[in-house]
Amino acid sequence: MSTAVLNNGVIHVSDQCKACDHCTSICPTGAIQGRLGEKHHIEIRKCINCGQCLINCPFGAIDDFSMVNERIRKALDNPHQFVVVQEAPAVRVALGEEFGLAPGTNVKNKMYAALRKLGFDKVYDTEFAADLTITEEGTELIHRVFNALGVPGFEHAGPLPQFTSCCPAWVKYAEDNYPQILPHISTAKSPQQMFGAVSKTYLAEKLSLDPGTIYSVSVMPCTAKKYECDRPEFIASGYKDVDAVMTTRELAQMIKTAGIDFVNLPDERADQFIGSSTGAATIFGVTGGVMEAALRTAYEVLSGEALGKVDFQAVRGLDPVREAVVEVPVKALGGKTLPVSVCIVTGTRYVAPIIEDVLADRSNYHFIEVMNCPGGCINGGGQPIRRDTY
Amino acid sequence: MHIFAEKAGMTRRQFLKGSGLLAVTVIVSGIFAKIGIDAFAAGDNYIAQRAAGLYSLDEKMALRKSHENPEIIEIYREFLSPGEEKYLSAKAHHLLHTKYGKNIPAFIEELKAPGQNENSHEAA
Ligand code: SF4
Ligand code: SF4
Ligand code: SF4
Repeated sequence: MSTAVLNNGVIHVSDQCKACDHCTSICPTGAIQGRLGEKHHIEIRKCINCGQCLINCPFGAIDDFSMVNERIRKALDNPHQFVVVQEAPAVRVALGEEFGLAPGTNVKNKMYAALRKLGFDKVYDTEFAADLTITEEGTELIHRVFNALGVPGFEHAGPLPQFTSCCPAWVKYAEDNYPQILPHISTAKSPQQMFGAVSKTYLAEKLSLDPGTIYSVSVMPCTAKKYECDRPEFIASGYKDVDAVMTTRELAQMIKTAGIDFVNLPDERADQFIGSSTGAATIFGVTGGVMEAALRTAYEVLSGEALGKVDFQAVRGLDPVREAVVEVPVKALGGKTLPVSVCIVTGTRYVAPIIEDVLADRSNYHFIEVMNCPGGCINGGGQPIRRDTY
Repeated sequence: MHIFAEKAGMTRRQFLKGSGLLAVTVIVSGIFAKIGIDAFAAGDNYIAQRAAGLYSLDEKMALRKSHENPEIIEIYREFLSPGEEKYLSAKAHHLLHTKYGKNIPAFIEELKAPGQNENSHEAA
């Protein structure tokens, strides 16, 4: 396994740097060093690989480490490798921008078609793993709530509040700066990593393949996902769970290089077994989406009642910090209503006071969603760059 | 230089849209009350447009709750917790959960220990 990403980080300032100093105001961790008029550089130790500096540099002077030529193309060219691919929710509403379509245009079904044309043996969807994240992470939350309420049998559940774990930039920020908060972070892997582990176990069984021949690729709106896939603990399948990651921008580039007429591709569907998904998984790509998806499932599990209306408008929006209280009747408590208190943070720079409150025992929240990028993964460091906004 | 900084600053402000840092919504009568206005309907910047794209996709999906995904039901019944639909089963815990920070080195040793699973660790 390559340790390049772990040792050197994903994001680098190139010689094109014009020393304008804009990136230092963007970086949520203070990792970028350099004075106005001086070429800037990134302090690897502090960097959380989010790529926000990259998409906001007015001179395009920041690059991300690419796995396309060294890993992905080699796997696609190797006849002994069975190459499978997953795509995150946020990719499908931004990829079209690289081909002249309006932001927000859903190109999911053309994306599946393009990936098949690029030579992937099977095309699945990260959204399947997002649904799996909800059943695991949502259940973990319920167990933590029961433990806090003193329900017998849940003594081994972790403390409240529970933080989400799907953003690897946020996870690294917590590890680097607030190790005491780590028991509060859900132990559930991110959807990308769950998909990887499942692709080399369950899928291998379903397709009667030697898991050693499976090469698992993901398409992400995110540069931190490249770092996440190379973290050494993601080997639960017996192999490297996710072999390589490309960004939305890199997929667009591969499609263009291959001469594929993207906008005129026929609509195709994802492959069977780990390719289907629900709307709850789709909204993972926007801030508040993981929270809303978890509430839809937790509400039904806790109340034993079917939700009539599934939209939790209260957790939606683009404000960097939002909170809401959702009243949930709990069957296990004889129908007693539990006010579930939640908080959503989009932008790592806003999370410190919330962590401080938890550590000082001042927090009333049950569940806190943290996404590093302003707006969520739809505005991730791997997404198409909007020069028109400058 | 000044112009770039100014305009890029605009993007941030556009994003924050002059709203308070902490938006509080308390729903007293359950989730059926529709209090929030659709923050994205009138959005003219690309972040709001991408968000609106995902919400409209969600609305069009036949299933909108994760635990109703038939392939999720199948992976639990056939593989993660054979014969039942048990979240957080031992196998789910092994494959789908992780550890953080200083707990990682010992966790890696645990994963590499013989008998953890039938697969090899050649790539790890
Ligand atoms: S924003 Fe880009 S050009 Fe300006 S200092 Fe940072 S890297 Fe250099
Ligand atoms: S990638 Fe993120 S954390 Fe790293 S220097 Fe850029 S903005 Fe800062
Ligand atoms: S918010 Fe999403 S895109 Fe941004 S760093 Fe986290 S996982 Fe990646």
